[in-house]
Amino acid sequence: MGIDLQLSEEQELIGSTANEFFGKNCPPELVREYETSAADYPAQLWSQMAELGWLGMPFPERHGGLGLATLDMVPLYIELGRHLVPCPVLDAVALAGGLICALGSEEQQKALLPGIARGDAPIVSALMEPDGGYGPGAIQLQAQRSGSEFTLHGTKVLVGCARSASRLLCAARTAAGENGEGISLFLVDPQAPGTSVERTPNIAGHPLYAVTFEKASVPEEALVGELGSAWPILYETMMKAAVLQSAMVVGAGERVLEMTTDYAREREQFGQAIGKYQAVQYLCTDIAMHLHRTRLLTLQAAWHIDSDRSFLREAALAKAAASRAAAAMTFAAHEVHAGVAFVIDYDLQLYTRRAKHWEYNLGDLRYHLDRACTESGL
Amino acid sequence: MVDLCPDDTPELKAWRQEVRDFLEKALPEPWTFWYDYDEDPASWERYLDFWRQVGKKRWTALTWPTEYYGLGRPAIEKWILEEEFVNHDVPTYPVIGMHVAGYLLRHGTHEQRCKHLKGIADATVLWGEGYSEPGAGSDLARLTTKAHRDGDEWVINGQKTLGTAAHFCQWMSVLARTDPDGPRHAGISCFLVPLDAPGIEMLPLDNMADGRQNMTYFDDVRVPADSLLGDENQAWTQIWFGMGGERLDNAGPSLGPHAMRILPLLNRVIRYCRQTTRGGRRLGDDPVVRQQLGELMVGVEALKLQAYELYGIAQSGKASRFGEASMHMHQAVYKEFWPHLAQVCMEIVGPMAQIQGGKWAQLNGDIEHYFRASFGNHAGGTSQLKRMVLATRGLGLPR
Ligand SMILES: Cc1cc2nc3c(=O)[nH]c(=O)nc-3n(C[C@H](O)[C@H](O)[C@H](O)COP(=O)(O)OP(=O)(O)OC[C@H]3O[C@@H](n4cnc5c(N)ncnc54)[C@H](O)[C@@H]3O)c2cc1C
Repeated sequence: MGIDLQLSEEQELIGSTANEFFGKNCPPELVREYETSAADYPAQLWSQMAELGWLGMPFPERHGGLGLATLDMVPLYIELGRHLVPCPVLDAVALAGGLICALGSEEQQKALLPGIARGDAPIVSALMEPDGGYGPGAIQLQAQRSGSEFTLHGTKVLVGCARSASRLLCAARTAAGENGEGISLFLVDPQAPGTSVERTPNIAGHPLYAVTFEKASVPEEALVGELGSAWPILYETMMKAAVLQSAMVVGAGERVLEMTTDYAREREQFGQAIGKYQAVQYLCTDIAMHLHRTRLLTLQAAWHIDSDRSFLREAALAKAAASRAAAAMTFAAHEVHAGVAFVIDYDLQLYTRRAKHWEYNLGDLRYHLDRACTESGL
Repeated sequence: MVDLCPDDTPELKAWRQEVRDFLEKALPEPWTFWYDYDEDPASWERYLDFWRQVGKKRWTALTWPTEYYGLGRPAIEKWILEEEFVNHDVPTYPVIGMHVAGYLLRHGTHEQRCKHLKGIADATVLWGEGYSEPGAGSDLARLTTKAHRDGDEWVINGQKTLGTAAHFCQWMSVLARTDPDGPRHAGISCFLVPLDAPGIEMLPLDNMADGRQNMTYFDDVRVPADSLLGDENQAWTQIWFGMGGERLDNAGPSLGPHAMRILPLLNRVIRYCRQTTRGGRRLGDDPVVRQQLGELMVGVEALKLQAYELYGIAQSGKASRFGEASMHMHQAVYKEFWPHLAQVCMEIVGPMAQIQGGKWAQLNGDIEHYFRASFGNHAGGTSQLKRMVLATRGLGLPR
C-alpha cells in the first residue's frame, strides 16, 4: 500500500537475471544473424528461456506455468527489448498464450499451454490484414461454416514466425457485425492445404509473413472461445500485450540512452566532448524524458492489470507514449551520433529498425491516442 | 518585386517543353533512384546511362562558358530545367561532380578546367568527396590528412571517412593539411586526386539505407603539382565554406537534391492517399491524415521557396536576410524537415509501410527506404552545426 513506482526486489531480480543471461546468450551478433537466417528464431535460446520458466510466466501452475503477474513480467520484457532478443516471446506467450488462457476450453489449455511453456514450436497470433487497421473492422478474413468445418479465405500480414509456428491463432470473421461482433479465433496449421506462407522483408529484419488462405478448411475443434464473440477478449489481450510491448521499448530505450550518453562523453569535436554542447544535451535528455514517461505509464498500466482495475485507458496511454518514444529516442540518438551510426556496423541501427516495428506493433500512436479518448469516455 | 513565374516568355516556355519532351523519352516511366542509397549494378547502369544522355545534350553544363564545354545559357534556363527534372522525379546528378565543376570554374586554372570539366559534363567521370575524417566531422578543421610538396609532386598521407559512393568514382576532391604550423583553418588545401593512384585503398562502410560510404586510405599517394585546386592553404574559405555559403555559381543554380527528392516523394504519398482506402474510407478523406499532409505541404513548399529565394538573390545580387548564413538556414531547415517528413509519411502509410518489397509493400517500399535514408541527414554537416552558423553569423549572436 502507498505510492511507489519502483519494482520490488524480486521483480528487480528477474530483470537482473535476464539482463545477465541475455548479455551472455544474446549478443548483437546473434541479433544480426537472425535478420537473414533461414530459421525464424534461435532454437537454443528459446529452449533455454523455457527452462528458466520465462515462457510460462503468466500461465496457471497446473498448466506448466508460474502464475506470475504483469509487473513480474515487465522486467523480463524490458530485457527482451534491451537485448533485442530475436524470439517471439511477446507473440507466443503474451498474445497466443494469453488468448488461450482467457478463451480456450480447459481441454485446449491443457493441450496447448504446457507446450508453450516448454518451448515447443510456438503458437503465434495472426491478427493484422492488408488494410493496416487495428480495430475489429480490419478483420475481414472470412471463415464460413460448412458442416463440422470452417473454410478460411483471406490474408493475414505481419505474422511473426509463421513458417516455424506449430499453429497460428487466427482472427477471422464468422459473421458480419458492428463493434466486433462476428469475430472468432481459430487455431490453424500453417502447413495445411490451401494455406500459403510468404516471408515479407521488413524494416526490422524480423521473420514476418503474409499468410494467405484459399479455401483452407479447419475443423470445428480449432475454434478458440465462442463463435463470433472473440473481439472483447481479443481486444483486452492485445491491450495487455501492448503494455509488455511498451516495456520492450523501455528496455531498448535504456540501451539507446546508454550508447548515446557514452558516445557523447567520448566523442570530441572542437577540443571538447560533444556532450558538453547544450544542443547534444538536449538530444540526450529527449531520450531520457521519452524513456522515463514510457516507463512510468507502463508500470501504471501493469499495476492496473494486476490489481483488477480497469486498465484499457492506462494501457492505451502507455503504448501511445511507447510508440512516440520508439521513434523519438532513436531519432535523437542518431542526431547525437551523426555519421558513425549511419554505418550498419554500428549497433544503434539495430534498435532504430526494430523500434519502428514496435511503434506499429499492437497499435500505433494514432490508434492508441484514439483508444485513450474512447476509454476516457469520449 | 515578387515574381514566381520563371518562364514568362514564349522562348522560355518552349525551352520548358523541350526539356519535358526529352524526359518523356529518356525516362518514360517514373523511377525513384538515389545513388547514395542503392548498390544495384543494373540500376546504376541505367542511372548513368540517363545522365550520359543529358550530358550528350550538354544540359549538364547548360550555364558553363562555351570555352569549357558549356552552352553559355542564362541561369533561368537552368532553373527551368531543374524544375522539370524535379517534376519528373529524375535521379539527381551523381555525387559531387557539380560541386567540383563549381570550384573549377571559380578557382581552377585554365588547364584544370580543360582537363576535368568535360568528364563532369559527359557524366563519364564521377567525383567523390574526401573531406571528413574519423576525428574530424563537424570540426573539419581538425583534419590530419597531410600533403607535402616533393619536387613536382604532392605526397598525400591520411585517411578519409564516409565518402559517399566513392567506390563508383574515378576522382576525389580531397582536403589535406599543407601547413602543419599555421592556424587551423588557414593551413588546408584541396587536391584533385585520381582514385586509381598507387597508395590508395578503399574499404566499404555499408549504410543503413542500402547504400555505401567508404573509408579511403592514402599512403604516400603522389599527385602532380597541378593537382592543387585553388590557392595553397586557402581551401577552407575557397572550397569548404563555399559549399555552405553559396551554391549559385558558374555551375548554375540548383534547386538542390533536397527539393529534387522531397517534392516527388510527397506527391507520391498524396497520390497514395487519394487511391488507398483504410477501414472503408479513402485515406485522403481521413481528417488526421489531412492534417498531417497539410502540414507536410507547408514544409515542402517553404523549402522550395527558400531555394527560389536563394536563386533570386543570386540573380539580383542583393543582400540576403541572413547574409552568408543563408545557405545554412536553408540546410538546417531541410535537415530537420527530412526525418520529420519520413516519419510522418511512415505514420500515414501505417503498419504496412514496414514491408520493404514484394506484393504487400506499399509504394514499392520507397517510404520505408526514405525513412532509413533520413538518418543520413548529417551528410554535409549536422543541423546543430548549421544552426550554430545561422545563430552566430546570421543572427549576430555571440560565439
Ligand atoms: C549519409 C552521409 C554521407 C556522407 N558523405 C560524405 C562524403 O561523401 N564525404 C565526406 O567527406 N563526408 C561525408 N559525410 C560526413 C559528414 O560530413 C559528417 O557526418 C558530418 O560533418 C558530421 O560529422 P560527424 O559525423 O563526425 O559528427 P560529429 O561532428 O562527431 O557530431 C556528433 C554530434 O555532435 C554535435 N556537435 C559537434 N560539434 C558541435 C558544436 N560545436 N555544438 C553543438 N553540437 C555539436 C553534432 O551536431 C552531432 O550531433 C557523410 C555523412 C553521412 C551521414
